Amino acid sequence: MKENRIRILYIDDEIHNLNAFKASFRRSYEIYTANSAQEGKQLLKEIMVHIIIADQKMPVSTGVEFFNEIKDTLPDPMRILLTGYTDVEDIIDAINKGHIFSYIKKPWDEHELHRTINNAYEIYSTRKQLKEKIVELEKTNDELNRFIYSTSHDLRSPLMSVLGIINLSRLDNSVVDPNGYMNMVESCVLKLDGFIQKIIEYYRNSRLEVEYEKIDFNNLLNDCITAFQPQNTAIRFHTHVDQVAEFRGDTFRISVILNNLISNAVKYQKPEEPEPMVNLSVKAEPHKATICIRDNGIGILSEHLNNIFKMFFRSKNNNKPGSGIGLYIVKEALSKIGGTINVESKYGEGTQFEITIPNRNEFDT
Amino acid sequence: MNSIPDLRVILIDDNEIDLLLHEKLITFQQISRTVISFANANKALEFLSSNIALPKIPPTIILLDIQMPEMDGFEFLQAFDTYPQKIKSQCHIVMVSSSLDYGDITRTNANPLVIKLLRKPLLLKELKETVEGIFKDFV
Repeated sequence: MKENRIRILYIDDEIHNLNAFKASFRRSYEIYTANSAQEGKQLLKEIMVHIIIADQKMPVSTGVEFFNEIKDTLPDPMRILLTGYTDVEDIIDAINKGHIFSYIKKPWDEHELHRTINNAYEIYSTRKQLKEKIVELEKTNDELNRFIYSTSHDLRSPLMSVLGIINLSRLDNSVVDPNGYMNMVESCVLKLDGFIQKIIEYYRNSRLEVEYEKIDFNNLLNDCITAFQPQNTAIRFHTHVDQVAEFRGDTFRISVILNNLISNAVKYQKPEEPEPMVNLSVKAEPHKATICIRDNGIGILSEHLNNIFKMFFRSKNNNKPGSGIGLYIVKEALSKIGGTINVESKYGEGTQFEITIPNRNEFDT
Repeated sequence: MNSIPDLRVILIDDNEIDLLLHEKLITFQQISRTVISFANANKALEFLSSNIALPKIPPTIILLDIQMPEMDGFEFLQAFDTYPQKIKSQCHIVMVSSSLDYGDITRTNANPLVIKLLRKPLLLKELKETVEGIFKDFV
């Protein structure tokens, strides 16, 4: 008994049909036969078959009735009905209800039946694979969930302890540190923590359901500026919000996008620039919002412009390498909410990102 | 800053270093002379239930970590919620965690027993402001 053979149960009340079927197909498939629906059911309790072929015209219960009875307890095997030219109504009804994969006219044509059996088996195995993949995916997703959760905690927790120790050593002046090693440790820890936070951000963007609520762009921009201003106090921020319509969007993703872009604008300034600036403008209209983030920083090499949204891409020509994940997250977050992004940049002069986000206001839906 | 003379602070955290750090911060800021540390939330609950017999429960601040083995911060809150009002009314719970997990943060903010969620590393300024906020009516 080969494991990978197609297993077929054929039910017919006429014994010579069963014998003829066996004679024609036993070399290709593993065949079981029964001469009544009752006997068929009994057999199905013991053997797992891929395909069930049943004659329609049988005493006690017909083929369609039999299939109807077993479809809930045995949903997987493919069902093929064998019938004469009569009973068309029943057959159409049964096929339309989805209980039956196909029907074959009696007397059967051997090639046609072969073809039908093989097609049925193909669907059977595809469905089975799909089910297995779904189970596998659910498991992987679940593991990923737990992995991210423990990453966010188990990696960050000791890092935060290190920062706590550094803070304390400054408070009580207990560490003699003329070379500023503590500051170096601190900056390394902050960098590592920044990377962990980016990974969590990426993960949340890909997993969290999109949720639309009212957005106040003034508030959002001010929060960003408050967060990034301390990194370079020389930068002048100019904001201009033109909100002609109420705007609804996904707060988490829009702030992720703004945070990453503004963080870049602050980070990649020219050290010698006398008037570093970051311009932020928002225009919220009934159907979309256009947000523009412009800086006079170091700019991006034109040959790198096509690559900046790729995961882990880092522009070589700057001495402040990032994690290479920020703009990738921006792009991913935009694709979640149906937005677009454009970038214009001149190396040495500055960069401008323009994003548009659809407004999910009620009158749209 | 020691405006509440009999104020005590209970620390619950499975991380020994964080316990030490928080104790030092409290001592440094002179928030309280009594700091009681527990590396295990169950032990803290036992201690609090032993307080029922006291004629007067001193004002208490509890700094509670979220993720801990055996009994986590949320389980502690659940158990503590069943304690008599006599104790609950004197205890002010501040959660302290390095968690960025959205679920943890919303769950903490939604819990009526929790006054505030502070991020690790615990900063002197935030700790001071939180304590002042809790006892502003006493001063």
